[in-house]
Amino acid sequence: MKAGELLRVRVAFSALGLVPLFLAGWFGYLQVAQAGALKREGRAPLPLNAHVADRYAARSEQMPAPRGTILDRNGATLAADCESYEVRARITVPRTKRADLSLFRPWLERLADSLAIALVADPEVPDRSAKYAAHRERLRRLMWRGWKVDTLPLSGTWPKRHVHVVDFLVAAGVDRRKVIDALSSHHKSKAYPTVFLERLHSFKRVYPERDLTYGVVGHTDSYLALIDGRERFHTFGVCGLESFDALTPDSGAVRRFIADGRHRPYFLASMRGAPEPIRLHSTLDLELQRACVRELAMQCEQGMRGAPDDKPMWGAMALVEVATGDVLAAASWHGGDLHPKAASFTPYQSQFDPGSIVKPLVVAYALESKAVSWFDEFDCAPNGAMYQRIIRSLGRRKPVRDDHDCGVLTPRGVLMNSSNIGAAMIGLQLSREQWRDYMQTFGWGKTLGLNLPHETTGGHPKQSFAPAVPLRSFRANSAISFSFGYEMTTTTLQVARAYLRMLQGVEAELHVVRGLDIDGVWHRAPRQRSAGREFRAEVRGQVLSALRDVVSNFEGATGRSVVQRFKKQGVELSGLIGGKTGTAFGSVRLASGQTVTMRNASFVGLMPPEDPKWLAVCVLQKKGGRARFYGSSYAAPPAVSMLLRCQELRGHSWMRQGPRVSSGGQTRTGLQTPDNSGWGLSVGAGDARDTR
Amino acid sequence: MRWMIAGLLFALAVSLAIYTAALRAENVRGRRELEQQYRGVWTQIIEYKRLSVQQIEAASPEELSRLQWQWLRDEGERRRGRLQ
Repeated sequence: MKAGELLRVRVAFSALGLVPLFLAGWFGYLQVAQAGALKREGRAPLPLNAHVADRYAARSEQMPAPRGTILDRNGATLAADCESYEVRARITVPRTKRADLSLFRPWLERLADSLAIALVADPEVPDRSAKYAAHRERLRRLMWRGWKVDTLPLSGTWPKRHVHVVDFLVAAGVDRRKVIDALSSHHKSKAYPTVFLERLHSFKRVYPERDLTYGVVGHTDSYLALIDGRERFHTFGVCGLESFDALTPDSGAVRRFIADGRHRPYFLASMRGAPEPIRLHSTLDLELQRACVRELAMQCEQGMRGAPDDKPMWGAMALVEVATGDVLAAASWHGGDLHPKAASFTPYQSQFDPGSIVKPLVVAYALESKAVSWFDEFDCAPNGAMYQRIIRSLGRRKPVRDDHDCGVLTPRGVLMNSSNIGAAMIGLQLSREQWRDYMQTFGWGKTLGLNLPHETTGGHPKQSFAPAVPLRSFRANSAISFSFGYEMTTTTLQVARAYLRMLQGVEAELHVVRGLDIDGVWHRAPRQRSAGREFRAEVRGQVLSALRDVVSNFEGATGRSVVQRFKKQGVELSGLIGGKTGTAFGSVRLASGQTVTMRNASFVGLMPPEDPKWLAVCVLQKKGGRARFYGSSYAAPPAVSMLLRCQELRGHSWMRQGPRVSSGGQTRTGLQTPDNSGWGLSVGAGDARDTR
Repeated sequence: MRWMIAGLLFALAVSLAIYTAALRAENVRGRRELEQQYRGVWTQIIEYKRLSVQQIEAASPEELSRLQWQWLRDEGERRRGRLQ
């Protein structure tokens, strides 16, 4: 190689060697010497380094934990959280619209219109046109307020200091694929390149049989609360089973992904450890609940015989499984146009004077305490010698009267004829302490212990057992009134519990929860080991035989009319159902301050009468009006229909004793992630397997 | 010879750089596609759960009887219309 060539080669290679040196120097200057940063309005400059770049690329989406699922005793879903999206928009005004403000307002209108159309993109959306109009107006208002359009000039260019990026909630609870797709098509689309839509995971509470479960399952509400130093929406159960703390989830899951500088997401990892919803197995049976709601509503809607517009103010009905104390169904009915969410749940919130339905309990207590015997005779004639001696001699101001005159009756006759005079004579055999024990034994005025909010307990006035009240006065007033269910108030479920105690034991309680299924592990709801001291079998048998005779064709039996009514339908009730009718009236002070006379018709039914498996209580209350509002005519038919339905379902083997579970040991009703083996199953019951 | 080896090494380095870039681009494309599918599956799950609830509601005795009554009414009106 010649000297000149060598020189040229050296110069060329030296120049090539300088390129990486220059690049390394430039890199060092930018990253170390200059350490670039982006200026931000109102915030510290953003350093342009690797850490910030990673931080911007590493994204995560929060998956809130679902609220627990509520199931009936057969595994059918009563309430569940269904996944949905909350769609938020971050929209920047395009440069072209900022350069010419006359184009901005039409663009905004078009965008609001387009998003509103997307929100009703599914043809199955009910009332589409009305919903479209509402969405359009709402979105338009949100954008109008976000960009403070009122303060913008009609033409010219965008004011320098005026905000040009808005962030708002497009819609919550988006759960239709067509709507999601339509909204997604707006995300950085050609037509709207500056629209950035973000889908956030959320849940929507669904109640597949809402009309049947308003009161007993309840509902939820949300409010804005300061949680962990941040303002967040907190959802809580307002009433019914929804109010149980166990349903409130702990924490959700997080899924990591990466995003590029244009916010395009890239898969990094799937969601791990997404919490499964807790499954609360209630004691309700959906089929029986349906029958309960329907029968009660039908009876109440019929109104009074001959006066269909004269309807009750409210009605309540409950069905209990005697062996376990499980509440199988509970229904509430209100007159008027009150929304079921706003109305009280009558089975444990509406009080009434129990009237004659307490007589079997009084008789059972008197027999158990040996204050009377089954063969004692009482002359129940209104002005008979016995009445004069036992009742009138006490100086009671209000005479005790029967609906129809009765003669000499045994306790069985007293129950069959529902004689107030006979019940008073039996009640007067009890001491004041025994009356106090009677109240305790049957739980009158005591909470049901179901932990359901807003329960009313009723009971007797404090004055009834006040030591200052002389014994003679107590006997003349309270003892006699208690004997036929006056001077005390109660609720439908309390009546059911009182009868349950007579049948099972004095500590028997009602139950609405069977247990919890947490991550596949079954936790049985705590229950007392025994139902406490039982009534003697002899007493139980005697009272039950009398209750069987009440619902029979015997002369004077108060349940005779219901027997005849069902006979017309081809059903012979005699010997099939036992029960006790009740009719009471009293003055009630309304919230308005007005005092009105209330009449209530009640019925307690037992089936089968010799060894009851089911217990139904029905109560209807109406304001004043006609006096012929009897338990046998108005409260008994729905309760009897319920009991017959129980028998029918039992015949079909539809009533299961254990919840249905899938082979995995869990009832898959909740909503899991795609990583979870149960994600593909629908909301509903799994296969039946009675292993619990 | 030296120059040839240097050239080949340079070509190899360039090829490796291009291959690595292509591989990373393919990886990014794959991840993006996977992300789209993942989100699509979520959308399907949401739709599926909604439909499962809708199916339960649509099959309730109340809804079926309402539909039955509606069909009967429609049929009655159709027959009346034909008679007129």
